[in-house]
Amino acid sequence: MNLYEYEAKRIFAEFGIPVPPSVRITKPEELRKVHFGYPLVLKCQVMAGGRGKAGGIKFPKDLKEGEAIAKDLLHLTIKGSKTESLLVEPGIKIARELYLAVTLDREQGCPIFIASAEGGIEIESSGKVITMPIRYPVQPFVGRELAKKLGFTGNLLNKIADVANKLYKCFEARDLDLAEINPLFITDGEDVLAGDGKIIVNDDSLNRQNCFAGWKETHMSDLSALEQRAQKNDLNLVELDGNIGILCNGAGLTMATMDMVKKFGGEPGNFLDAGGGSDQAKTLAALEIVHENPKVDVILLNILGGITACDEVAGALVQFMEKHPDRHLVVRLRGNNQEKAEEILAKSGVKLIPDIESAVKEAIAKAKTGSKQAVGAKA
Amino acid sequence: MILVNKDTKVIVQGATGKMGSSHFKRMIAYGTNIVGGVTPGKGGTTLEGKPVFDTVGEAVEKTGATCSCIFVPPYLALDAASEAVNAGIELIVLITEGIPPQDTAKLVDLVKRNGVKLIGPNCPGIITPGESLIGILPGMIFKQGSVGMVSKSGTLTYEIALALTENGQGQSTCVGVGGDPIKGLDYQEVLQMFENDPKTEVIVLIGEIGGTAEEDAAAFIKKNIKKPVVAYIAGQTAPEGKRMGHAGAIISGDKGTAKSKIAAFKEANVKVAMTPSEVATLVAESRKQLAPAK
Repeated sequence: MNLYEYEAKRIFAEFGIPVPPSVRITKPEELRKVHFGYPLVLKCQVMAGGRGKAGGIKFPKDLKEGEAIAKDLLHLTIKGSKTESLLVEPGIKIARELYLAVTLDREQGCPIFIASAEGGIEIESSGKVITMPIRYPVQPFVGRELAKKLGFTGNLLNKIADVANKLYKCFEARDLDLAEINPLFITDGEDVLAGDGKIIVNDDSLNRQNCFAGWKETHMSDLSALEQRAQKNDLNLVELDGNIGILCNGAGLTMATMDMVKKFGGEPGNFLDAGGGSDQAKTLAALEIVHENPKVDVILLNILGGITACDEVAGALVQFMEKHPDRHLVVRLRGNNQEKAEEILAKSGVKLIPDIESAVKEAIAKAKTGSKQAVGAKA
Repeated sequence: MILVNKDTKVIVQGATGKMGSSHFKRMIAYGTNIVGGVTPGKGGTTLEGKPVFDTVGEAVEKTGATCSCIFVPPYLALDAASEAVNAGIELIVLITEGIPPQDTAKLVDLVKRNGVKLIGPNCPGIITPGESLIGILPGMIFKQGSVGMVSKSGTLTYEIALALTENGQGQSTCVGVGGDPIKGLDYQEVLQMFENDPKTEVIVLIGEIGGTAEEDAAAFIKKNIKKPVVAYIAGQTAPEGKRMGHAGAIISGDKGTAKSKIAAFKEANVKVAMTPSEVATLVAESRKQLAPAK
């Protein structure tokens, strides 16, 4: 779950990371109540990066200019992300900008610092980025080591170390995937403060982070409406462009089925993993979700029931077919309670295709002809 | 066979929960040497004729268990697994999906420091056909044989095992390392175990998009593995930036693509199957190459 800058800064402040004073506004007139003096900074609160380049950060020199700019900024969309509000901050005399982040490194299996003595710019293209593993148990010396590696000495070494440690604490306590400050300002007076803030909260951890309760609905901008609905039903949906809807149990199997559809000349319309042990209700919900994609001509079901009960799936199929008799379904259903499933489906005339490759080829054939006959039906 | 056999004494943490209890039953029915269950507060009761204990410590003390299969909810997993490490368990099979990754990172650090083997999390478990099933794999799909399997997936593993079994290619042991980005045993350690196992003749590696474990495994195979390896990679058609079910199955920029993994395997002379049934074909072919030397 991605957070807006103002939310990230609020959280950083909770952990003692110095942030500039700020006011969040949703109407240009609200600028009249801001007493930071001019010039000040107006920043679009969006989920996308590269705001500056896209014109989402402006420095009005007086209130009149500020209100005019604010009006425009509030309507700005950057890389598909609408401006949710504007963050107003005072102009600050900046001596240096750094980059500082904490994330979990998959390869090393532990949290790491990512840092650069040159911040503000796009970090991927910077040559001088350092990374440092943070090993358990974590103590404040890690921040000092990092500050030293960045070339700091004296008071600044301790200040940078302190911010780094607090950033780590925030990362750990809030179950984050990423805590990033880009740029981290060092002022003329050698104060350190967060110029920007980016936080990605780990999705699997949301239910144990009470402070984020209910946020998911308004912060899941990179999922489509249907993908969000699927999540609410505890299903994993990724929408694609093709016309063959895919529903399986298990992520690897779903990916493999998608791959086979492509390999044999078809176009997958989606990835939907119903997970293990889905009952009739959940399977029906999954079928409905795949069905809702208007591009889908055929729904290919590939269920290998280890734990998943095939008869539960069969029950859902019967319910689904009653509601949508014109829908083409290609069904490969094998494993746990298969005989029961066959009995249930025989009454609806659906034949189960035991072999996965044959099922894939049938689905592709049906999708191409677009005929209204349900595959395997009336066998 | 590696890691587990018919003598391995197994306890199940979370045995009395909904998921735990149904698998407790299945494992016993398969013939796994289940010696007890652990659920805090239910100590002194029995389940399927086996004793239930309040703590792992007591379970280990009373039963001599060396392996624990864990079925607890995601936010309790670090605690349960830490308890197992503390009690002297040598092999933890952590089935749970959705564990916060920083918890997993802490757990992996803990098991490494204590010389404990961890399989998972977010995995179907491990099976040595005919001897021991620890986890949720469907036992009837597997058959005793000499193909070692190591996989990130659940049902895809079963699909490929089915293809192998139907083609007379039984399995020595099948290890599900799981679909999380940070995990316990990874491909390399399991590959080495198969290489050292007299009962394993051919190895099947099932991978998926995300991370570089397959590329690292390919490099490892080139250097250290003499037995034939056949690979299958899921997710060739996955779009960039999207989590495909598994927390670890995500392509970031150009990192973690199926293309890169397949290329790495070809570089290492590992045959790559393009469908699950082709895995069985390639395994059979690789045996023909083995025959003269043995």
